[in-house]
Amino acid sequence: MAAAKHKRARPKRTAEPRANGAIDVSRTRRVPDLAKDTRVVAVTGTASFLGQNLLRLLEEDASIDRVVAVDVKAPETVHPKTRFYEVDLTQPSEARLAEIFAAERVSTLAHLAFHASPSHATAYAHELESVGTMHVLVAARQTRVRKIVMASSTLLYGAHPSNPNFLGEHQPLRATKREPFFADKIEAEAEVGRFVERSEGAIATVLRVAPLLGPTASSFVTRYLSGRFVVTMMGFDPLVQFVHELDAIAALKLAIDRDVPGTFNVVGDGVLPLSKVIELAGRTALPIPHPIAEPLVALGWIGQVAPAPPTLLPYLRFLCVADGARARDVMGFRAAFTTREALDDFVQAQKLRETKLLQESAFP
Amino acid sequence: MKSKRKKKPVAEEIRALEEKLDAIIEKHAAPPPEPNPIESRALAPSEPPPALPSLPLRRREEREPTDDFGYDPAYDARARPLFDFLYARYFRVECRGVGHVPNEGRCMLVANHSGTIPFDGPMIKAALAREHPGKRDVRWLAEDFVFHFPFLGSFETRIGAVRACQENAERLLRQETLLAVFPEGTKGIGKLFKDRYKLQRFGRGGFVRLALRTQTPIVPVAIVGGEETNPMLLRLESFAKPLGIPYVPVTPTFPLLGPLGLLPVPTKWKMTFGEPIGVGEHGPESENDELLVARIAERVRGAIQEMLDAALRERKSVLFG
Repeated sequence: MAAAKHKRARPKRTAEPRANGAIDVSRTRRVPDLAKDTRVVAVTGTASFLGQNLLRLLEEDASIDRVVAVDVKAPETVHPKTRFYEVDLTQPSEARLAEIFAAERVSTLAHLAFHASPSHATAYAHELESVGTMHVLVAARQTRVRKIVMASSTLLYGAHPSNPNFLGEHQPLRATKREPFFADKIEAEAEVGRFVERSEGAIATVLRVAPLLGPTASSFVTRYLSGRFVVTMMGFDPLVQFVHELDAIAALKLAIDRDVPGTFNVVGDGVLPLSKVIELAGRTALPIPHPIAEPLVALGWIGQVAPAPPTLLPYLRFLCVADGARARDVMGFRAAFTTREALDDFVQAQKLRETKLLQESAFP
Repeated sequence: MKSKRKKKPVAEEIRALEEKLDAIIEKHAAPPPEPNPIESRALAPSEPPPALPSLPLRRREEREPTDDFGYDPAYDARARPLFDFLYARYFRVECRGVGHVPNEGRCMLVANHSGTIPFDGPMIKAALAREHPGKRDVRWLAEDFVFHFPFLGSFETRIGAVRACQENAERLLRQETLLAVFPEGTKGIGKLFKDRYKLQRFGRGGFVRLALRTQTPIVPVAIVGGEETNPMLLRLESFAKPLGIPYVPVTPTFPLLGPLGLLPVPTKWKMTFGEPIGVGEHGPESENDELLVARIAERVRGAIQEMLDAALRERKSVLFG
């Protein structure tokens, strides 16, 4: 993994004996004055795609003493350094989270409890993403967590004909608030802003990640590109941008390892016209005039046929491409895969899946 | 007549320059500089790997079909005959002083905006591709509303238009692009027939600040003929808002004959490139000097207006030049 070489140099401390469930032993042996030396990373939303993969990466990193996993669902594989806590963020969970963070002496928190795709259960999504973030951050402030790393999305900039071709981090988030998928995430980002304002000495890194593509990631984007026919807007061919799943995970790890406060776009290099994307994916474009597309897609969304609600149709007409220069210059992140390579990787795996050579269950 | 007499020496000059250039190209058969080590690696596989340690991660071998701004060279090559026809046969563009455009490096062409449907961007592109000794490629900045429309927006993007905004322009200039801008903007293409060739306000001088920040020389360009292609008699603004366009034009033919009425009148075009206006004596930090920005903007505007007036005085007929 590219991020592995950015491990923080730290005083050598022999790792705790990990075998035969020594986790509890290590916990009792820790005394408060050593707390500064232990590196404990908490991850919320460990059942999400990013959460699962980040967990594995943190487990491999010898400089991290303990990983605290928070989700409603236990991780599918058991990791020796990881301790799992079942917490439902949609419930008033501040007190319980604060208890966990204090007991584990969490210094860094990666908040990844977000939906990758628009959900039909918008009320639940709101409780999880917007209110859940508030719960998590209240607990983090109370227990003086030093650093928050949050995954967000470049889609929040919104697709507009007036966008510059490469959106910088300073641009306002103009995605339509009518869509709860965006509104909740914009509110979550605002919560992080308030967290930084109110808590002294704490830093926050928000990673706005471009749509993920790769062999295992799945979202409304991969579903959109998986159908035989792919709906496009007649006469529009916007430039689109992806990031490879490995790059996104590497960026998260990098943000955990380095102290880089601020907001960063995590994107693959290069852009592709949507028509070329569909061609490379081996699909057939189905152009629909945009005035009639909205009611059609709305019907499809209600009937659970369309992969996304009609509020995402502007992304098939206008630009929403982010500029990754700041992540490169300030954070030192470089995507190993270009937009095209990320797409290729997805397409290859998709071919195997379609020929039944690759079972979905082979990848958690 | 006068114009024909003038044309000959220019043509000869260009031919001489072309010959000189061919000789130079033959002498230094060096490959063009490749800023991206990955691409050069793909071109010459026997060469040792590039020096940058963080880059060998990449495995890009194929060139992207489009560049960062959506310009599609293959598509452009297919559209080229149309613009060549418009340039040589339809508008019969006469091009003067194209030698003022430098052969390389960043440069900003500042022109009057014209026509209800602007053809000036593609025509400047055709002029530089055909007449300039360096055969330079031009990108031009187009108004937002172009990108609202189906077909028009994606077509313009593929042939080289870029949405007009500071971020895009700066990025292009930093890539040493030749960039054509129309500071009159929507006010320019929305000019009524009676106001033709009267330069409108040059925005807020954004192009000057850009030139100062990126230390780009400005070449003023005057285009005569373009403002009569779709003579606009009336501008309807109230209907236009819901359509996402700045105005609905009313020309002698437009709503009357339907879409056919939007076909441009085959006027005779004259394109004049003026002396470059350098901003080198002012540093990049002077972009905040509002007085200086206004002064340079006025100077550019004056230069274009002067060239326009001269070309108009010389012109005997709108259709035949």
